[in-house]
Amino acid sequence: MIWLLPTSIIVFTIIIAVPLSRYMAMVMNGDYRPPRALGWFERRLDTGPMNWKQYTIALLVFNTALFVYGYIVLSLQPWLPLNPRGLGMLEPTTIFHTVISFITNTNMQHYSGDQAFSNFSQLFFCVANFFLSAAVGLCALTAIIRALRGDSHLGNYFVDMWRVVIYFFLPAAFVISLVFLAQGMPMTYRADYQVNTLEPAAMGTADNGQPKQQTIVIGPLAAFVPMKMMGTNGGGFFGMNSAHPFENPNAGTNFFETFCMMLFPMALVLMYGRMLARPRHSTVIFAVMLLLFIGTVIWAVYFDTMRPNPSFTAHPADSFIIENTGATGGKRVITVPAVARLPIDQHLGNLEGKELRFGTSAGATFAAATVDVTCGAINCEHDSLNPIAALSPFWGMWLNCIYGGKGVGMINLLLFLIIGVFLAGQMVGRTPEYLGRKIGAREVKLAMLALLVHPFLILAPSGLYSAVSWGTKAESNPGAHGFSQIVYQFSSSSANNGSAFDGLGVSYGLNNNPNPASEAVPWDIGGGLVILFGRYLPIIAPIAMAAFLGMKKESPFGLGTLRDDTFTFGCLLFGTIVIVGALLFLPVAALGPLAEHFGPIPFGG
Amino acid sequence: MRTYILKSLLLLGVSVVIVCLIYPLAVWAIGQAFFSFTANGSIVVGPDGKPVGSLLIAQPFTKDEYFWPRPSAASYDASASASSALAASNYQLRDRVARALGPIVKYDGGPKAGQLVASDVEAWFQQDRYEGKPHIVAQWADNHNELAQVWVSADPSHAQYVNDWAKAHPSRVADWMKQNPSIPKPQPSDLAVLFFENFSKDNPGRFPSAVTSRAPTGKTQTMIEPVASGSDIQSIFFDMWRQDHPNAPLAPVPADMVTASGSGLDPDITLENAEYQLDRVASKWATDLKRDPTSVRGEIERMIQADAYAPMGGLFGEKIVNVLRVNLELRRRYGAPQT
Repeated sequence: MIWLLPTSIIVFTIIIAVPLSRYMAMVMNGDYRPPRALGWFERRLDTGPMNWKQYTIALLVFNTALFVYGYIVLSLQPWLPLNPRGLGMLEPTTIFHTVISFITNTNMQHYSGDQAFSNFSQLFFCVANFFLSAAVGLCALTAIIRALRGDSHLGNYFVDMWRVVIYFFLPAAFVISLVFLAQGMPMTYRADYQVNTLEPAAMGTADNGQPKQQTIVIGPLAAFVPMKMMGTNGGGFFGMNSAHPFENPNAGTNFFETFCMMLFPMALVLMYGRMLARPRHSTVIFAVMLLLFIGTVIWAVYFDTMRPNPSFTAHPADSFIIENTGATGGKRVITVPAVARLPIDQHLGNLEGKELRFGTSAGATFAAATVDVTCGAINCEHDSLNPIAALSPFWGMWLNCIYGGKGVGMINLLLFLIIGVFLAGQMVGRTPEYLGRKIGAREVKLAMLALLVHPFLILAPSGLYSAVSWGTKAESNPGAHGFSQIVYQFSSSSANNGSAFDGLGVSYGLNNNPNPASEAVPWDIGGGLVILFGRYLPIIAPIAMAAFLGMKKESPFGLGTLRDDTFTFGCLLFGTIVIVGALLFLPVAALGPLAEHFGPIPFGG
Repeated sequence: MRTYILKSLLLLGVSVVIVCLIYPLAVWAIGQAFFSFTANGSIVVGPDGKPVGSLLIAQPFTKDEYFWPRPSAASYDASASASSALAASNYQLRDRVARALGPIVKYDGGPKAGQLVASDVEAWFQQDRYEGKPHIVAQWADNHNELAQVWVSADPSHAQYVNDWAKAHPSRVADWMKQNPSIPKPQPSDLAVLFFENFSKDNPGRFPSAVTSRAPTGKTQTMIEPVASGSDIQSIFFDMWRQDHPNAPLAPVPADMVTASGSGLDPDITLENAEYQLDRVASKWATDLKRDPTSVRGEIERMIQADAYAPMGGLFGEKIVNVLRVNLELRRRYGAPQT
């Protein structure tokens, strides 16, 4: 029962992803005949073939337009329609952070959708970005593929965007929205219901002395959620995202939401192979990713669903010896008394922060999947995961290529691949080649630049914020977990993931909020900048790298060529990812989740 | 560049019209036409014919006649979903759960099998010895400074009580200020630990708690007074009692009964949780209706068994019960609960 859920989702997704990848490769190669009206519009958008610089500039110009559009929509919320609750404007730095976060496919939310967004903002800001920001990453990958196979030009950015939105996302979102409707997801333009509950007094008393009513916020969920998941966006309609019963009403919707977020990332890897005419090569990449993916799912399920929450279990007495120059002998012994077990039946695993209706292992499975594919939606509270289980989402964000986000995950893997091929070439003393093209110093430099941005953007701000009140005052949990909250926030920002350890005090709320989180503004600005650099550098540098690589002459396949479609190559790739990608983060993992797991529990308070 | 800007705006404009206007309207039309109950939020009506809530959204129940939902970090506010965001290592999580357990936990072995532990917790508290040392409340405040401060800030009457105490004991406050020169003007919550240490020595086996009494004038009034029993003692000090009695045989409580859900609005409880609550619910209805407890219990048990369902027909998880639906059924069958 516990393993059936993740297994069935993974198998089902692969079955759908294989044919989808064929269709995607066909459309992106332009081998289709559009209906007349759509074709006419496609020609209007076509500005002709672009080289890599033009393609990058077009991408950046479009993203700038998206930023301006988003900022305007959110700023004007009080005056726009579909706002019967009369919600005001978000605080300006929060708008900055939110817009950056949504145009970059990150969708980290320093606001709570149920409290701060009108249905107009949800549709015209969130849904617009769900479609368009996801398309940006996919287009970037397409451009890289065209460059790698030595095309004379990289295609046209605007036409690519149009194809992705109209021929991939729109039909897929429509079909999934019908599935969600049939399974009971709400779809209304109404903003809320006010009801007197069945036991009215239990809600408390309102200011007028009458029993308080329950305000049930609702909205156009069935149109909102499909693209939230399929675009690996993950920005929730409600504060608690896919844990909210309207956003994820039952086990069926949860199955399809998990499926949706994995679908395109998986299909993209296969599309990569099809467009390069090297399906075996992409199968090897797919297998390496699948292995890492299954690893993170098993880790999360084993340590979270099959283990109790350690807060309620018995712990033996323990003592820690710590270096302390002030104490006699330079050492201090700290003893922790034994802790008795609380009488709780925990056979369903850690239930704090979990919903019951999705299935026993659904929370842990979703937690692992959502970070692996850089979605960032959540259906359980990651802050309350068992400490050691939380390593699974951490590694997913740190590696950032276990399928990864729309296009960007595959791009990240390409970087590991170039580095791996380069290292292997160095070891055997041959000029490294990829796809028959020699990898030179310039390509490796660009790959390393794009790869090192990620750890730098996580570790440097985490260190800074942990040292000053921006971080220490925002932490909501004591000890190692407080540090984990800061690291998680920046990992999620840099990986363009969007999930969070929700306790961290980063929300200002509406502009007129009398009691905002004290450190909200530095988090809005710092987080926004990390997201910005974490998005565009790892897109631009690889496009350039691929372009330089593609301009080189293709050398014939020989005896000494490193074959890229073998088991050995898979091991090389796996090793590179684990050694280059993971070791960088071992120290923070030790200070955060591992310290929490091995340290005294409960702690503080 | 100019071309790029124009094309970007064209692409953006047309996409927005298609994906933000046309696509949601199409989904909306289909939803309203074919799935109108769920598309509008699964809103159900109560006995008076007015909407009473959504089957998907938990609402609070406190009466013994009803099944209770899972604890909610959002206070069941369906306009502000929230999880507790408490880490497993955070003592506040254990504390919250222990407080929920104290009044409901029963022995499942030994001579007292089936009885609540609450009265034993009170008796132990009145002895005022924890781990062989006197003054439970002082030790509690020393070990958990934060919880002591939370108690003071929890209610204006608590802060007032500490303030009154501080005014009555100026010399002790002055001593404290000498030891803590960084806080020149201590607020009541700053003095929390000092207050509880002294309170514990002056009132062994007592804890300050709200007591409602009838004044001579006939009005009811609520005052903070030292008490030796009651729900505060049973809940706040259950964890310490447990540390002193780690091997007492206690019946395990279903985890979902004391853990908060991710959204704070989880509409379901496990079937085990419902079975656990069955005794309380059935005996209260039996008293209300003056009927035979066994037959009422049988009726309600059949009701929850019939109402229980499992995620994906049991493939993905164990049986759960929708709290609002089963409570509506109780209300419909047995009428309004007695106040």
